[in-house]
Amino acid sequence: MAKVLVVAEIKQGVLKGSTAELLSKAKAIGAQTAVVAIGSDIESLLPDLVGAGADQQYIADDARLALFSAGPFAACVVDAARQFDADQVWFGFSESSKAVAPRVAAQLDAACATEITDVMFEQGHIEVIRPAITNKVLQRVRINTERMVAVVRAGAFAADPELAGSENVVRLAPPPADLKAVIKELVSEAGSEIDLADADIVVSVGRGARNQDGVELVKALAEELNAGFGASRAMVDAGFMAHNKQVGQTGKIVAPTLYMAIGISGAIQHLAGMNGSKVILAVNKDPEAPIFNVADYGIVGDLFEVVPILRQEIKKIRS
Amino acid sequence: MKILTTVKKVVDVELNIHVKDGAIVEDGLQYVINAWDENGVETAVQLKEDSGAETTLVSIGGGDNTDVIRRCYAMGIESGMHIDDPALEKADAFIYARVLQKVFEAGDYDLVITGKQAQDTDNGQTGIILAEYLGLPCVSNVIGIEVLDDKHLKVSRSGDAGTEIVALELPAVVTVDVSINEPRLPQMRGLMMAKKKAIEKMDLTALGTSADEIGCAAPKSEIVAFMATEKRSGGRKFEGDAAEITARVVDLLANEAKVL
Ligand SMILES: Cc1cc2nc3c(=O)[nH]c(=O)nc-3n(C[C@H](O)[C@H](O)[C@H](O)COP(=O)(O)OP(=O)(O)OC[C@H]3O[C@@H](n4cnc5c(N)ncnc54)[C@H](O)[C@@H]3O)c2cc1C
Ligand SMILES: Nc1ncnc2c1ncn2[C@@H]1O[C@H](COP(=O)(O)O)[C@@H](O)[C@H]1O
Repeated sequence: MAKVLVVAEIKQGVLKGSTAELLSKAKAIGAQTAVVAIGSDIESLLPDLVGAGADQQYIADDARLALFSAGPFAACVVDAARQFDADQVWFGFSESSKAVAPRVAAQLDAACATEITDVMFEQGHIEVIRPAITNKVLQRVRINTERMVAVVRAGAFAADPELAGSENVVRLAPPPADLKAVIKELVSEAGSEIDLADADIVVSVGRGARNQDGVELVKALAEELNAGFGASRAMVDAGFMAHNKQVGQTGKIVAPTLYMAIGISGAIQHLAGMNGSKVILAVNKDPEAPIFNVADYGIVGDLFEVVPILRQEIKKIRS
Repeated sequence: MKILTTVKKVVDVELNIHVKDGAIVEDGLQYVINAWDENGVETAVQLKEDSGAETTLVSIGGGDNTDVIRRCYAMGIESGMHIDDPALEKADAFIYARVLQKVFEAGDYDLVITGKQAQDTDNGQTGIILAEYLGLPCVSNVIGIEVLDDKHLKVSRSGDAGTEIVALELPAVVTVDVSINEPRLPQMRGLMMAKKKAIEKMDLTALGTSADEIGCAAPKSEIVAFMATEKRSGGRKFEGDAAEITARVVDLLANEAKVL
């Protein structure tokens, strides 16, 4: 039987949905499962970790793990993987996962597959599906090693609400600090805003919004909808939006129920981050904008005119 | 400071890519320098200009790499090598990292700059694995570098909750994101000069290693087939009076798509 270790995704003290999604997939293929949770002050997450559905929980809880540092985090994952004798280590999709997974793979002498959307257990080996070339193609990749480390693309697997875990906790020793790459500071940009990755609705602003006033206008729409608020790279580079709000190939991958692209042209690198959304709405004044080729609903118009009406109409329909 | 920057020649992602019988149709493809590597080259050149760093690039595979390497020369890179060998045909990130390890060990480098990811693989692994093989500290997804002294950098990386500031001791590996800088456009004069510069070409033997030592015959993973991505098709596009069409679309979102 396959043994799958899932790395818990914890953000600002909260266990994220990807953890249960990955565990559900592991269970669905009949694997024995464990979860490893890494951070500081995370003891209180134990019920959630059990609830996420693993047979076993590895916990590395140490004050020195409060800030992300790839070396120590990788050391914890490797420690858990060795103790559990995992042949699969799966990460949810995040910037931290992308930094840690290749380290873990190198240390376990395992193959490494990033951004996978599916995993198949073929006779005697594993195959994964993943997009490549800025989402222009899918690759079917054969894993030649016994062990595999994977980063699973957001939205690839669904959580099984029936899944129940059992409590079997192993506490991990704190890892050695990385003395040569010392995390000094986190310049936080997140605040209490809704996490893009698990928002039901995401509203993103593009260069069409022009300036801070435009950004505020679109932000008000996001707030109205209780939606995650993202941006194209153009708005991040221009300094209007924080880095961790960038949606796209080199930013966040999102797959919400509804994605609103406001003043975004629809470059392939942006599409790579959001074309897994269930429904896409685009507002753009250029009827030829490529975003309309992927949008289910398109409004051709000036966002400065359309967005306030959108807010009004949504308010109306919701009340 | 001696810098080694890695540059991969990749397929131009802006052009259409077709898949037939599990393979990418080669006809009509064009090849360019990997976008993230262009940022890596710019980073190296800035460190040369601001802190007197020495800059070397290495590119592996890709057949004729002359244009890509000359472009980097024209941007300001001082020397370059191109490593190619038929044994690398099925190379995965681990194999490229092993080759880069040999290159690193043959030089006397303080800093390796790789791209965050290659546009053809979208793996985002090679630089990080290289650091593991070399036992060096590594910061990935870097968006800023400040030189503190000969042995220390202050780097910022874009992380999940914000920008992470890391004190990095050299020698080290960084992988850079496209946000780190705006790569300069090579000028005509630079391109002319670049033509006169030598490109050191090597196979694995010339590098002082062998296909066996690198493990070329046993990639940890290999692509068995390419498939076309499912294309989203555009739905309905509304033009006309803003108030009217917006109200109509909100109604459709609520009552047809049922997502509001
Ligand atoms: C390696 C690499 C990685 C990248 N990664 C990403 C990524 O992760 N995410 C990302 O987003 N981009 C990424 N990019 C950049 C991408 O190629 C585009 O440059 C970027 O997405 C453009 O942002 P935009 O659509 O906001 O701006 P533009 O392309 O300038 O589009 C602005 C749009 O606004 C419309 N508009 C203007 N005024 C109005 C108005 N008043 N009302 C309504 N509409 C209006 C215009 O018609 C236009 O379509 C990457 C590029 C590279 C090379
Ligand atoms: N064949 C290669 N030649 C030179 N550099 C490479 C090669 N493959 C990968 N790299 C470097 O490693 C980075 C990440 O590649 P990847 O792991 O394939 O996404 C790239 O941006 C390059 O800087």
